[in-house]
Amino acid sequence: MNPAGKRSWSGLYLFVVFAILYAPILYLVVYSFNSGGTMHGYEGFTLEWYGEVFSDVRLLIIVLNTLVIALFSSAISTVLGVIGALAIYRVRRQQSRNALLSLNNVLIVSPDVVIGASFLILFTMIGLQLGFISVLVAHIAFSVPIVVLMVLPKLQEMNPSLLDAARDLGASGWGVLTKVVLPVIRPGIFAGFFMALTYSLDDFAVTFFVTGNGFSTLSVEIYSRARQGVSLSINALSTLLFLVTIALVIGYYLISLRNSRPAEGGQNR
Amino acid sequence: MKDDAIIRFDQVTMRYGPEDVVLDKVSFELQPGKFYTLLGPSGCGKTTILRLIAGFADPTEGTVYIGDVPMNGVPANKRRVNTVFQDYALFPHLNVFENVAFGLRIKKLKKDVIQAKVSEALRFVNLVGYENRKISEMSGGQRQRVAIARAIVNEPDVLLLDEPLSALDLKLRTEMQVELRELQRRLGITFVFVTHDQEEALAMSDEIYVLNKGRIQQSGTPIDIYDEPINRFVADFIGESNILEGKMIRDYRVEFGGSEFDCVDGGFLPNELVEIVIRPEDLEVVSPEEGKLKVRVESQLFRGVHYEIVGRDRSGNRWLVHSTRSVKVGDEIGLRFGPEAIHVMRFGETEEDFDRRLEAFAEVNHAK
Amino acid sequence: MRSNARNYYLIPYLAWIALFVVAPIALIVYYSFHDIEGGFTLDNYAKFFTPVYLKMALSSFWYALLITLFSLLVAYPTALILTRTKHKQLWLLLIILPSWVNLLLKAYAFIGLFGTYGLANALLETIGIGRKQILFTDFSFVFVAVYIFIPFMILPIFNSLEEMNKSLIHAARDLGASAWTTFRRVIFPLTLGGVKAGCQAVFIPALSLFMLTRLIAGNRVITLGTAIEQHFLVTMDWGMGATIAVFLVIIMALIMVVTGQGRGSIR
Repeated sequence: MNPAGKRSWSGLYLFVVFAILYAPILYLVVYSFNSGGTMHGYEGFTLEWYGEVFSDVRLLIIVLNTLVIALFSSAISTVLGVIGALAIYRVRRQQSRNALLSLNNVLIVSPDVVIGASFLILFTMIGLQLGFISVLVAHIAFSVPIVVLMVLPKLQEMNPSLLDAARDLGASGWGVLTKVVLPVIRPGIFAGFFMALTYSLDDFAVTFFVTGNGFSTLSVEIYSRARQGVSLSINALSTLLFLVTIALVIGYYLISLRNSRPAEGGQNR
Repeated sequence: MKDDAIIRFDQVTMRYGPEDVVLDKVSFELQPGKFYTLLGPSGCGKTTILRLIAGFADPTEGTVYIGDVPMNGVPANKRRVNTVFQDYALFPHLNVFENVAFGLRIKKLKKDVIQAKVSEALRFVNLVGYENRKISEMSGGQRQRVAIARAIVNEPDVLLLDEPLSALDLKLRTEMQVELRELQRRLGITFVFVTHDQEEALAMSDEIYVLNKGRIQQSGTPIDIYDEPINRFVADFIGESNILEGKMIRDYRVEFGGSEFDCVDGGFLPNELVEIVIRPEDLEVVSPEEGKLKVRVESQLFRGVHYEIVGRDRSGNRWLVHSTRSVKVGDEIGLRFGPEAIHVMRFGETEEDFDRRLEAFAEVNHAK
Repeated sequence: MRSNARNYYLIPYLAWIALFVVAPIALIVYYSFHDIEGGFTLDNYAKFFTPVYLKMALSSFWYALLITLFSLLVAYPTALILTRTKHKQLWLLLIILPSWVNLLLKAYAFIGLFGTYGLANALLETIGIGRKQILFTDFSFVFVAVYIFIPFMILPIFNSLEEMNKSLIHAARDLGASAWTTFRRVIFPLTLGGVKAGCQAVFIPALSLFMLTRLIAGNRVITLGTAIEQHFLVTMDWGMGATIAVFLVIIMALIMVVTGQGRGSIR
């Protein structure tokens, strides 16, 4: 029973876990500067692969595609998700509400292969050509329930007498929504948007199923390139993406920090 | 009087289910410029009345009038009344200024008008200098004031207050009682104040409505209600009292506790069984010989301003006495009281019956 | 109370549910009863119960179980230690950060790490074991899968540990329980909700992995997910693919019921 000893063991354990978690990422980053052209035998520092990334027009277009899909789908699904959360919030019967929530969660718990396959059938059935639109629609569809789940708790936390107060002060239904409800649940809306953004950027399986006509996103592109073997321009690309991710995380962290402060204060009275 | 009533309830019934009757054919009217209190235990329907006036609910039957206009179906945002909520319901995303300005912005008033009105409202509630504070930075009492400012800035005809003091501690509550009363006088508008605290009601109101189980039990000035409760519920709910059974021998003569006494009530049947109310502070402790009633002391508690003495008379009735004089437990003491201290109530009498009886009695007396 | 106005928000939301939740499921079921030519058939279901598909389902189950088990074994101590660190929210963020990196990139990194001349083999060589075939083995598949799922296991366990009333631990110690007994009798049972949620969040996706099986396991491991992809995108036998998907959905639903509708597995 030596607390100091115990602490150092747990510290070591945590260190190993972190080392393994970050090893692949660091590995990618380190070798993105390798002039040797392989992911072993570091030969020397070079920026050649970054140059290759920026001169690869096809890759740049795909990056752009991915971003456009992510931004559009998360914006649209945020709107739909907020509407969905408001719809569920307004349903009074507990049973109907639970039924709606269960239906909402189907797409969250479903394996993405099944989602991809079923969307493929759906799009083929209604004659939607596979490509940009089908990928966009699919991303919107699977992001909506995530936004609903992020927004609904904020609605339920909201003091319902705020709505009475707003109407009492003369606000119409639309005024109550825009001047009170939406501002109060704003942290949830932001969190939902960010979640939708990451799900969209991260998605591979669903996109893989519903894409076509030469339209591709980064995940799908990396998959096909990785199957052909190692190419250090992917390393360079992943380093860049990693930097963007970190920037996003820091941004998200700062936003949630700023959002949570007044809310916490409110609870503490 | 009907013409100048600012709020009128006409046979208003509120039902949430066939068995769940919250208000049962309630009728009353409120005059402008007065401070009204709806008083009753939780679930008596007082908050429902407030919600019906504010427009958060519509009556199942009957009509609510504001001014002389029926309000059924008119939404809350179209009514010239404003509410101070129990939990204040201040908007957490807006600062103090914007909270108060909320209603004015909805009306799309000009910027400088809004600025002027908000400043004036904040001056009214002594919150000048707090404009840019966040709600989370305000204390309970300050939030209360913001909520009041936010309501009165819209210059409503009626201000509704839903137990606004219940979240405050005792000292602050007493201060706010004085301030609210003062505010109502300065504004000159009607206040409808909901509370379950009888002391609050007695201290602040021009008129009190005592409610129980969806019906108005009694209405009147605080003094009327305190001195002339019409039934056991009101007597019990307002202040402390000795309530015991008795018999009305004839007008001005009543029997209880084994003796007959003179009293000031009349209009009963001969030998009618009645309930007697005597307030503990109307009883004077004297020697057994001097007393109209003899009581054996069972317990005594020191309450600060007075001693609270509990005793029992020979017929077994329990007597609560407030006295500045200390007595000994186990001693026999005498109780003295005047005829006007005895208040006689008919069993199960409603307010209308009570008024009718008094009128009839007065006419008979007049004829004599 | 909420306003009595009609709930117009339901219209777009129900439309979304009908189009993207109900319709896809219905279509999957519909297709599972049809053959390649589009005629009605029960053959797909009959085929599913042949040894080939049953073995595949079983091995897919087995791998998912292994992945879940190893994830739990690594994640629980990590979560426990995390709750005792000083800046736990920051550490937690650092744990989650890698999960924000595109899945494909991480898989790709392991191709390099586990390759014949990769870092792992270099390590093995220096400690004297010598180079081994790591990539395209069961080990590499399970390892990478665990690597990818670990944050999803840590998060719910961490949350349930945080929710637990800390004075319960003091009470147990006060009543004479050793550290191990306290863990076994108090801490673990109280965090079972988080463990269940974590297992759910790992097991279901692990059952349907297909990208990793191709990149890391080199088609040695065929899961239900791989089979669906194969049928839909390679052999174009949508009926059979849909049948497997139906079974996957049923299994998933069963797991949800058994582990008791885990509270917010997404968080």
